[in-house]
Amino acid sequence: MPEHQKLIVSHAPFWHNCNRVTDRSRDIFLAALPAALFGVYQYGVSALGVLALSVSSAVLWELAFTRVAGRPVSVGDGTAAVIGLLLGMMLPASMPWWGILTGTFLAVVVARQIYGGIGANPFNPVAVALAILMLAWKGRMDFDAALVNYPFDFPAVYHLTAVKAFGTAAIGDVSLGDLLLGRQIGGIGCTFGLGLILGGVYLLVRGVIRWEITLSMLAGVALTAFIFNQVDPAKFASPAFHLLTGYTLIGAFFLAPEDPSSPVNFLPMLIYGAVIGSVVVFIRDIGVFAEGLPYAVLVGNLIQPLVDKIRPKALGKVV
Amino acid sequence: MFSRIELKRVYGLAVCLLLIAVVSYAAFGVTPPKPPARIVFQSVAGKALFDHARHAADTGYSLTCGECHHTLSKDEYDQASSCTECHDAEKGDADVPKRSDALHQQCIGCHTEYGAGPVECTRCHVMF
Repeated sequence: MPEHQKLIVSHAPFWHNCNRVTDRSRDIFLAALPAALFGVYQYGVSALGVLALSVSSAVLWELAFTRVAGRPVSVGDGTAAVIGLLLGMMLPASMPWWGILTGTFLAVVVARQIYGGIGANPFNPVAVALAILMLAWKGRMDFDAALVNYPFDFPAVYHLTAVKAFGTAAIGDVSLGDLLLGRQIGGIGCTFGLGLILGGVYLLVRGVIRWEITLSMLAGVALTAFIFNQVDPAKFASPAFHLLTGYTLIGAFFLAPEDPSSPVNFLPMLIYGAVIGSVVVFIRDIGVFAEGLPYAVLVGNLIQPLVDKIRPKALGKVV
Repeated sequence: MFSRIELKRVYGLAVCLLLIAVVSYAAFGVTPPKPPARIVFQSVAGKALFDHARHAADTGYSLTCGECHHTLSKDEYDQASSCTECHDAEKGDADVPKRSDALHQQCIGCHTEYGAGPVECTRCHVMF
C-alpha cells in the first residue's frame, strides 16, 4: 500500500466498517459535480478551465510536496482532488491560471501538507486558500468585476454586495426560485442552490458528513439573519436570501463538516456549526466584507479544539 | 489507504484535466463582448457597476448609442468607443471634462432627466 500507517493501536478485535478515504473522496466529488457542471453550463469553457486546472494542480502540488518531503505518495486517496474541485467551484470563472496555482498551493501545501497531511490540518484547506485569495486579490475575487464580460439573461449583480451597499430594495426582484436554479452570479459551483442541496443530501445519506454540523450551521445563518432582518428589514436581507446566496450552501455541505477541522462530539458539533453560521451573517451584515464564509469557517476551526472539550464522550464501553 | 489502480486513476485524472485546462486557457479565453455587457468603473470612492446591456436593450431602457456616445451620428453607432478614449482620468476642461466629471454628468444628468435611476453617491458607488 502506498500510504504509510500513521497510528498504531492495540487491543483487538477490530471491525472495519468498510469506510475508506478514497470512497469518501469519490462521494464528495460526485456530490459536488451537479453544481460544478451547472457552473460550466452557465459560464462556459472558461469555467471548465478553472475547475480542471484547480483539480489537476491540487493533485500535482500534493505529489510534488510528498516527493520533496520524502513522504509516501498520498494523492491516490483523492482528497487533494476534492480540495481542488471545491476551491475551483468557489472561484470566479475568469480567475487567471496563476491565481489558481497559488490557491491550490495554499490549500494543499500550506494549509494541509505542512501540518502532516490528511487528518492533521487544523483549518479547512479550502477556506484558508480562499480567505488569502480574497485578501490578496480583492479585484479578482470581486464577482461584479470578475464576471463583467459574461452576458446573462438575468440581472448580473452579486447579490451580497448589492444588499450590503444598497439595502434590501436592491434585491427586491430576486426570487428564491432564481437562487435555487442558479439565476445569480457567484463562484462557478456556488450559484446552483438546488444542485448543492442535492449533493449535500447525498453526502448526509451516505454518512460522509455529519448532519449536526450542517444543520446547525444553516440554523445559525437563518436565526442570525432573522434577528437582523427583524431589526431593520430595509437594510438586512431575509434568512432565505442568506441561505441561498454566496458560499452558504457549499460551506454548510462541503467546508464546515470537513473531518479533521471539525468537532467529533454531538454538542460541540452543534455549537461549531451555529458559530460558523452566525459569524457568516455577522460579517455579511455588519462586517467589512460582503461575503464572510471563509473567515467564519476559519473561526469555527479555531474554536474546534476548545468546544470539543465540552462534555467529551468516552470512546468504547465497559460492560 | 488506496490501491495502485486508484492511484493510477488519480494520475490519469490530473493529467487529463491539466490538458483540458491548458487548452481552455490558451484557446477559449474570455474576450470582452462588443458592445460590453457590463462595465465596472473603479475610483477612490469605490466601484460603480454600469449595466451597459440593460441600458441599451429593447427589453431594458432602450437607449440609443448616441444618447451616451454623444459624438456619434446615427450611421456611426457601430464605431462607438469607450468613454475613456476621450475623457482622461486626470485632466479635463470645459469642452472635454475629465473622466469622473463626464461620467457623473452623463449618469446623474440622464437619471435626473428621466426621473429614474440613482443620483446619490451611495446609490452607485460601492466600497467593498
